[in-house]
Amino acid sequence: MAYPYKHPSETLVLAKYFGDPEARTLKGWEERGGYKALRKVLGGTRADVISEVKNSGLRGRGGAGFPTGVKWSFMPLDTGKPHYLLCNADESEPGTFKDRELMRWTPHSLIEGCLIGAYAIQSKHAYIYIRGEFFETAQIMARAIEEAYAAGYAGKDVMGSGYDLDVTLHLGAGAYICGEETGLMNSLEGRRGEPRVKPPFPAVSGAFSKPSTINNVETLCTVPHIIENGAEWYKQWGTEKSTGTKLFCVSGHVERPGNYEVALGFNFKEFIFDVCGGVPNGRKIKAVIPGGSSVPILTGDELDIGMDYEAMAAAGTMLGCGSVIVMDETTDIVKQVRRMTDFYAHESCGQCTPCREGTAWAAKILRRIESGWGTEADLQTLLDISDNMAGKTICVLSDASAAPITSSIEKFRDDYLALIRRGENLAEREARPQLSAIS
Amino acid sequence: MSDSIKNPGFAGDTGEFDLTEAQIRGTDYVGKRPLDGGHPSVAGTLPYQVADRNPEIPLFDGPYGERLEKVLTRYPDPQAALLPALHIAHEIRGYLSPESMNEVAERLDLAPAYVRGVATFYTMYNLAPLGKYLIQVCTNISCSLCGGDAVLEAFLEHTGTETGMISENGLWSVMEVECLGACGFPTVVQINEKYYENVKPEDVPTILASLT
Amino acid sequence: MADDKQNQETVTCTVDGLQVEVPKGTRMIDVAARVGVDIPHYCYHPGLSAPAQCRMCLVELEGAPKLMPACVTQVADGNVILTQSEKALKSREGTLEMYLVNHPLDCPVCDQSGECKLQDYVAEEGRALGRLNEPKRVFGRDDFGGDVLYEGDRCIMCTRCVRFMREVAQDERLAIVSRGHHNVIDTFFDEGLEGNIWADNVIDICPVGALVSKDFLHKARAWDLDRTPSICPNCSQGCNIALQVRDNEVMRIKPRPNEEVNGHWMCDYGRLNYHWINRTGRIEAPLVRDGERLVPSSWSEALVALAERARTAAGNARALVSPFLGNEDLGMVRRLLSSLGGGEGAFRVETGEKVVLPGFPKLALREDRAANVRGAELFGFSRTGGPDGLGGLDELSNHTGILVVAGDDLDDAPEDFGRSAAIFIYVGHALSPAARNADYILPATTFAEMDGSFTNVDNRVQRFWPALQAPGMSRPAWQILGVLNAGIAETAAPATANDAFALLGDQCNAFTGLRFADLGSQGRPLPEQPVDLLTSSE
Repeated sequence: MAYPYKHPSETLVLAKYFGDPEARTLKGWEERGGYKALRKVLGGTRADVISEVKNSGLRGRGGAGFPTGVKWSFMPLDTGKPHYLLCNADESEPGTFKDRELMRWTPHSLIEGCLIGAYAIQSKHAYIYIRGEFFETAQIMARAIEEAYAAGYAGKDVMGSGYDLDVTLHLGAGAYICGEETGLMNSLEGRRGEPRVKPPFPAVSGAFSKPSTINNVETLCTVPHIIENGAEWYKQWGTEKSTGTKLFCVSGHVERPGNYEVALGFNFKEFIFDVCGGVPNGRKIKAVIPGGSSVPILTGDELDIGMDYEAMAAAGTMLGCGSVIVMDETTDIVKQVRRMTDFYAHESCGQCTPCREGTAWAAKILRRIESGWGTEADLQTLLDISDNMAGKTICVLSDASAAPITSSIEKFRDDYLALIRRGENLAEREARPQLSAIS
Repeated sequence: MSDSIKNPGFAGDTGEFDLTEAQIRGTDYVGKRPLDGGHPSVAGTLPYQVADRNPEIPLFDGPYGERLEKVLTRYPDPQAALLPALHIAHEIRGYLSPESMNEVAERLDLAPAYVRGVATFYTMYNLAPLGKYLIQVCTNISCSLCGGDAVLEAFLEHTGTETGMISENGLWSVMEVECLGACGFPTVVQINEKYYENVKPEDVPTILASLT
Repeated sequence: MADDKQNQETVTCTVDGLQVEVPKGTRMIDVAARVGVDIPHYCYHPGLSAPAQCRMCLVELEGAPKLMPACVTQVADGNVILTQSEKALKSREGTLEMYLVNHPLDCPVCDQSGECKLQDYVAEEGRALGRLNEPKRVFGRDDFGGDVLYEGDRCIMCTRCVRFMREVAQDERLAIVSRGHHNVIDTFFDEGLEGNIWADNVIDICPVGALVSKDFLHKARAWDLDRTPSICPNCSQGCNIALQVRDNEVMRIKPRPNEEVNGHWMCDYGRLNYHWINRTGRIEAPLVRDGERLVPSSWSEALVALAERARTAAGNARALVSPFLGNEDLGMVRRLLSSLGGGEGAFRVETGEKVVLPGFPKLALREDRAANVRGAELFGFSRTGGPDGLGGLDELSNHTGILVVAGDDLDDAPEDFGRSAAIFIYVGHALSPAARNADYILPATTFAEMDGSFTNVDNRVQRFWPALQAPGMSRPAWQILGVLNAGIAETAAPATANDAFALLGDQCNAFTGLRFADLGSQGRPLPEQPVDLLTSSE
């Protein structure tokens, strides 16, 4: 039952116990079948685990959608060096709130997923990097980890298997960029969370310069289910290339916002209008961001597509982390794009010049347009800035920042032009933004 | 938004579940976590934005020192304990002063300038004293669509302060914050370590009253 | 950094159509440099790690979907690298526009103007007109202590300075503070850079005018400076430097790269200790004693008379030399002493604490605070006086034979210094009271005004070139003494520094086989190192 609303069209694998406080506890989780998969894994080989996950077609749920089993198979084995499994719980993409629900309702599923993942890549230590703002969620995770240690699921000689496996919960301190895998590694190591140049890739030199694999919370929570029920079972849902189920976080102008778990490939229109209850007050949809603020915007007419990686890509956007932000017809698109751009300017780590300067410059221009001081030439400048940022930097934050700008100018140019035209009447202009007004 | 959504004052009292605040927040399950951090695996994860501070005590003495010792056992490099150590300093003093950063640098054998560089990278480390309660209102896209700006205004009005300042009674500091990761429950407000979800401007007086 | 020399495997690739074979693992930026293609860059510096964050060195690699950062990408066999393709040019133009978004464009008052990489690249490849229509960010100025001033608004965040302090000085006093477009370089509040003698190197490596020297602040424009390769005279390390001169005055000293000596670096002690080179009040003409009077004279009159007198003078000769003299000068003093029947020679040198640069330990501020202490030792001069470079003159003071003082200023010498000498010859720069006791006062040039060479603490012989016009009639000491010696010993006098250098082997075996012309701009080690001199005091 996804939280806080339920719907019969959901396919519940991960969200089955959302809203069930008993499922949080170790006892409750065991009663619901927890830690069976771990027991199964410890009795088999690593290759079994990796091939099962590979066969299931599970793809990373953090946004990029890279096949998890393949990622695990990149890890060099038997090197004698320490390996690390990192769990990315730095959920901070605007519109995304699935990992928080997973961790606060089913913390043990994440721990079990981490243990299985760590076992598969021969890591004796898994770090869960949870974003600093999630204090409350972190307290639940902390209690669950303590329970797991006490019950012998973690620590020395896990469940009598002879395998030592530590789990450490690490609290971030407020930086979106730490959700980028190498930024997270730097942050974990006590540095500024600036992404690293790749190569070397994490599987060669990751956390503490040792081979590392990093997986999203949702990905790792899915793994125990696949191990327990098999790859074929998981593949009964979804499309050929996008298998299984996924949590979708819905926010913005919908009747029933929240998390829903549906099979991949679910019709997007049906999802918004049926599962999420449609738009309040009978309004029309103006725009939808389907995968978190970093993906191109869709208009209300582009929604009749499947909710899977391929269909979203074909529609010119991305499934991302499944964060659906719905905007009704009253929405001021320019303001919302400006708000997102402010966010990227605030969260740019500042290493690469195109991103450091470009995000802030774009935010300033958008603010000026918003206040009625824009010109049509500004739109071309915005597109050029986006083009000069995207693909030119160490990480993809600049690409993420460019996506809403370019897609909104392409699809909602009239909204921009209306503001510009309005501003041509000087009386309609607001005060020109001063330096102090620009963050 | 539909009018049927009840006004919560706490996390998540909405939707189709019949749960108490304690069940939603998991406070019964968590109980009280010990100052020494409990098990080493989670010792570095206590809330570091809390109302009750103890600014006079040394940073790494007693249970706090034990906590840092435990944290240090979890990483191959002591530098990795920098964020946890800064959390401790923040928890005790309420913000990171140059003196606190210097103490952390000394304790972990790092250069003070390096510690400053790291501390200023992360937005949750406050570098100046704040009110007893730090009220952070999300105005990012999902909350903004659902009236986040009005909630921010309401907090500023009812606390009588300006963004980033301390109210006259020393209780409140209000800030705008980037996405708090609870976008389905707009507007999301974080007050010290707690999330308040589905906050509407009219809820603000009740929330403030519950804290004083 | 240098290519991996161990790796014999090579790859062939082309840069802008020029084919080149390089060791496997070479980075694109170094490959390009090999064929003479300079890829624009800010954050990359050969003496530091490469963070690939300035995004200026993005080049097109045929077949790759994205542009590649040339400073970290290693070439593979068959790579076709295009630095001037439309994509690469457009990327640089776009990135340069970003650099100017918050840059104050205060070139008219910026010390870096004229040698600024931002100015250069924008002039070459930037947009003709900016499009910025917003207020700029303002950080202002921050005094980092010592000689370093930070102009935050000009900073392009290449982080070279932060990496220098971390990796090379290994005294992490600088950090990037804050995040994103609020990023600023700062120290730990009031800590500053004071006390670290390597701090000024951050000014050298700053590609723009963000870090400037207080000593040089608004003193000269870069394009008015003449830059002459030279050797730092201020300790026995022999850092390769450039004397930067305007209007016959040294304005500042900058290091010249030499991997064998100083890498890309030098210390602040050496760098800022140049004002003595500009000293005025120099002796401008030979002065010959006539009773109590010192009478200006022509060179030929003075030297002919002196040679005449010296040939017949009684008693042995002694010399006091300065370790700031070149090898040629010292060799000629030694030659003169032999012509006068042999005699002891001494030098005085100020000493201090040795300070090693941790990230490049070949380089240190050496104990001996003069450039040619090793040269003086090689030519048989012995150390005298105290650690302050003073004293130790008692014996010389009352010497009764011929007394030659070359280069030492005699500031602390007793009032009657040299009065009892048969002939007191003073070859130097300025007239201290003791120098006025000399019978012949012969004006010499400093190292900055002449050709010559120093021998550093590691027996490396390195050349310097004339950067300044010498005052009046002053001449290099080797030339003055060479002519004098010719008059005494009836041999030929050297006409050039090259000639003087060629004679050094006669005075010290170690110099045999080393030719002045072979020293080049990077110097050469002495071919045969005398065993007894290898055990240095350091």
